[in-house]
Amino acid sequence: MTEKTDILVIGGGITGQSAALAAADAGARVTIVDAARNAGSTANAGSLHVQMQSRFLRLNPHLADNLESSLPLYVRAVTAWEELDQRLGGVELVRQGGLMLAETAEQAAFLEQKAEREIRKGLDVEILDRDALFRHAPYLSERFVAAELCHNEGKLNPLVANRKMTAELDRLGVSRHVDRIVQIGEENGKAVAQGAERFVADRIIIAAAWGSGELARPLGLTIPTPGEPLHMNITEPAEYVIHHLIQHAERSITLKQFASGQVVIGGGWPATLDRDDALPAIKPQSLTGNVALAGEIVPAVVGLRLLRTWAGVNTPVDGKATLGPIKAGGLIHFALPGDAGYTLGPIVGRCAAASAMGTTPPMDIAPFTPDRFAA
Amino acid sequence: MMKRSLTIAFENETVNAAPGMSVAAALTAAGQRVFRETDQGAERGIFCGMGVCQDCLVEIDGKPNVRACMTKVRDGMRVARQAPRPSLQVRPAAEEPATETVAPDVLVIGGGPGGMKAAIAAAQTGANTVLMDERTVSGGQFYKQTGLDGTEPLDRQQADGARLHDELLASPARYIGGAEIWGAFDGPVIVAATADCVYTVRPKTLIVATGAYERPLMIPGWTLPGVMTVGAAQTLWRSYRVPAGKTVAIFGNGPLNAQVALELAEGGAAIAMLADAAPSPVTRPSPALALAAADPALAAKGFGMLANLRRRGVSTQWNTVPRSIRQVEADQLEVEYARGERIATVRADAVCMNFGFQPQNEILRLLGARMDYDPRFGHLRTQRTETMETTVKGVYAVGDCSGLGGAPAALVEGEIAGLAATGKTAPSSALSGRLQRHRRFQKALWETYAADLPDVRDAAPETIVCRCEEVRKEQLDAALAANPSDIGAVKRATRIGMGRCQGRYCGPALASCLSGHTGKPLDEFSYFAPRVPVKPVSIAVVASSDLSADDTADD
Ligand SMILES: Cc1cc2nc3c(=O)[nH]c(=O)nc-3n(C[C@H](O)[C@H](O)[C@H](O)COP(=O)(O)OP(=O)(O)OC[C@H]3O[C@@H](n4cnc5c(N)ncnc54)[C@H](O)[C@@H]3O)c2cc1C
Ligand SMILES: Cc1cc2nc3c(=O)[nH]c(=O)nc-3n(C[C@H](O)[C@H](O)[C@H](O)COP(=O)(O)OP(=O)(O)OC[C@H]3O[C@@H](n4cnc5c(N)ncnc54)[C@H](O)[C@@H]3O)c2cc1C
Ligand code: FES
Repeated sequence: MTEKTDILVIGGGITGQSAALAAADAGARVTIVDAARNAGSTANAGSLHVQMQSRFLRLNPHLADNLESSLPLYVRAVTAWEELDQRLGGVELVRQGGLMLAETAEQAAFLEQKAEREIRKGLDVEILDRDALFRHAPYLSERFVAAELCHNEGKLNPLVANRKMTAELDRLGVSRHVDRIVQIGEENGKAVAQGAERFVADRIIIAAAWGSGELARPLGLTIPTPGEPLHMNITEPAEYVIHHLIQHAERSITLKQFASGQVVIGGGWPATLDRDDALPAIKPQSLTGNVALAGEIVPAVVGLRLLRTWAGVNTPVDGKATLGPIKAGGLIHFALPGDAGYTLGPIVGRCAAASAMGTTPPMDIAPFTPDRFAA
Repeated sequence: MMKRSLTIAFENETVNAAPGMSVAAALTAAGQRVFRETDQGAERGIFCGMGVCQDCLVEIDGKPNVRACMTKVRDGMRVARQAPRPSLQVRPAAEEPATETVAPDVLVIGGGPGGMKAAIAAAQTGANTVLMDERTVSGGQFYKQTGLDGTEPLDRQQADGARLHDELLASPARYIGGAEIWGAFDGPVIVAATADCVYTVRPKTLIVATGAYERPLMIPGWTLPGVMTVGAAQTLWRSYRVPAGKTVAIFGNGPLNAQVALELAEGGAAIAMLADAAPSPVTRPSPALALAAADPALAAKGFGMLANLRRRGVSTQWNTVPRSIRQVEADQLEVEYARGERIATVRADAVCMNFGFQPQNEILRLLGARMDYDPRFGHLRTQRTETMETTVKGVYAVGDCSGLGGAPAALVEGEIAGLAATGKTAPSSALSGRLQRHRRFQKALWETYAADLPDVRDAAPETIVCRCEEVRKEQLDAALAANPSDIGAVKRATRIGMGRCQGRYCGPALASCLSGHTGKPLDEFSYFAPRVPVKPVSIAVVASSDLSADDTADD
């Protein structure tokens, strides 16, 4: 059986869905095909990241410039989420800012330098001294001496966002298929994708995260998209007091509270993954390390009970978004957000849809072309 | 009656309690049954009575999220109803728990008949053996010991349990009660916590004997305070001598219901109704005959029980199922039920339900033991060798946690596994002969009780299917109509299974609905993926566990 459509989106995570939404809004007939395997979008923690994550900088110092050059994209990404929040009738988006905490003078100095770089890129950040920090966040441990507060940052509930997004796509008549694409190419002026079924479209958008590298390789691009399995924890509900997104200047953690009152603890602790399409498993050390750190930061959480842990697959690529056609005038376009991809999903999807449909993207995508991966 | 010599404060009232009582029992005895309020403003109280449902949460001395059914009273304790969102503040004197690492030859998890017998058998071969059980009252569900200080056994069953427990304590095995197992990792490595110590156990072999919990019927009103499992009412009575109500209505399927009806009647409760979903055994004599042939003594005990009930004016209403429960007047519940085609109502203070069992196989699933779906019992059965070893080498499973089998079979399975796990003495063929006989009896027993139970797929739209997150059947149906890829997708779309009981009640129901929707038969992958923690566990406990040595290949 062959499915014919205007725009075929491969990958039904937040990026693919956002691309589909934009294309459908522009009047295209849209099909999403998804392997229904590990999606970062169904496992992520809903942090809206804007400031450079210390974790990423520490793990990938060689990619710091990539990250810095993407900062304007992050600022714009939050606006895209705010628009989506309006359109979908609320996804529990809260923008009370994100705090990155310093325990030592060195960490505080690191944050000050980081803040300067970020201000130059248009971020709304400030350095808080100890007193200001505790006025903002009295629930924090007293060990902290300073913090960077990024007003652009916030959080949302991805479970709600994903549910409402799917409903909106259904309403617009976007068709959804479960299939794993194994090959893509161009034939007779059409873009074709082969899975168990065959798909023929005017344009293809690849938003397949960890599955993208494999699809791109035969087309002459070497895009590194290994899945990075990450650990998450969630507690039972408590009174809602943690309004910020919390991070640490040197140690891996994100901590926040959902509107449900549950505290969500993550921040990139590793899980294990045998194969890309298997269910990732929990590492004992990530479990203990991650929650112990949460207790050091917000002492009251040690009294809360953990309800569940899970693991999901992130696809950081090279820390920078990949956007645009495979080659100038090509029928196949990329939509890979890179790091903090849930934050970036809506803006990246929208840009990719514009790129595929030949309209003007909401921002300049030239810095993100896939050319950097050509052999 | 035992002396209620302690006092505790509940909200603004003073409640008398006997030493050894659970908080839940003390409150029930005082006529209090609303323990907490949910996010949507519903009232909740005791449901499972065994630490599974998490609906009995109260605040004790300012600390929220404490299970009233698993916590003993202390003189002067202050107990308060739990708010939907307890305050998030640092609590004083959150002392660092002690930690202990243990590396026994054999670790047995669960102190019911299977676990106790396994630990005794293993320890007697000279193997260094540890048994951990989450309850403070020993004996598991069948032997259910008294929690009260200085009370005599209620009957033969309790006396047998006391004897087995004494045998365990006299054996070289180490018994750690009140130890909740919250994690299991490959190795195996087991993590557990008591009130004051966090244990990390690295046993050479592991015997899981965690038993089963009860399956309710999901009908409108099944979450009301006063509605509880039959086992919860049994625990209140057998362990604490507190009747669940002055009048009790019991609905279910299977032999436990009549037994508990008799116990409660002997304890002075009025049995407003004893109903079983199965057609009367008189209409199907052949399974009853098979039962008598398999174990004449046990069968006679069962029929004697029914006769005894009749003498007390309680006769089982066969072919009868509850349809909905509502609160009328203060503590009165009214059940609408169907007896065949006829619809009628009955009133009682307490309504008890047991429609079968669900194995507590979380630890086994976490360790990767393979399972098969058993359609007769509607649950997973762990694959096992003749010596009760699972598909994971060195991990054994005995008793109901591996699929319903009953206490007599659990005892024999425990002994077989206890010997096999040490490798020192081979289990005898006499043991396997006994096991075969118990299994024949169980089979005939459940054939006598075979019934077409109402299917959750047909539940009324307003029925709560996830009691923790308060999700209704209509919301589930809407999510199913969106064609989800798997159970995780339905969970994320509806929040079914995200609450404190960790999907123990809704998980099987959801798996069944999803299978009905997709036409895919149920198997071990139809359920929520097994994940730590096995039970909700405080971050303080997790943070102090010694798991650092167990991380393989940290990159
Ligand atoms: C535990 C965790 C927490 C995270 N927390 C955050 C956070 O708080 N904030 C944030 O901004 N980001 C976070 N991330 C990152 C974020 O989740 C991802 O970057 C983001 O969801 C990526 O979205 P996506 O749509 O590009 O890809 P995904 O959501 O990963 O979707 C890719 C889809 O492609 C499909 N696919 C793959 N190959 C094929 C193929 N060959 N054919 C068909 N389909 C295919 C997959 O089935 C999948 O559904 C987190 C990630 C993880 C794992
Ligand atoms: C923002 C957010 C908030 C969340 N909040 C909560 C929460 O409050 N409470 C909560 O419990 N969870 C919560 N979750 C976690 C949620 O359960 C998971 O994201 C999601 O369901 C995936 O979980 P899982 O990987 O553990 O697999 P599950 O969803 O449990 O399982 C899915 C898959 O596992 C397969 N499977 C089942 N058994 C096995 C087995 N033995 N071996 C291998 N595979 C098996 C099933 O077939 C199914 O395909 C939240 C997630 C997110 C993203
Ligand atoms: S009644 Fe206490 S946990 Fe269920």
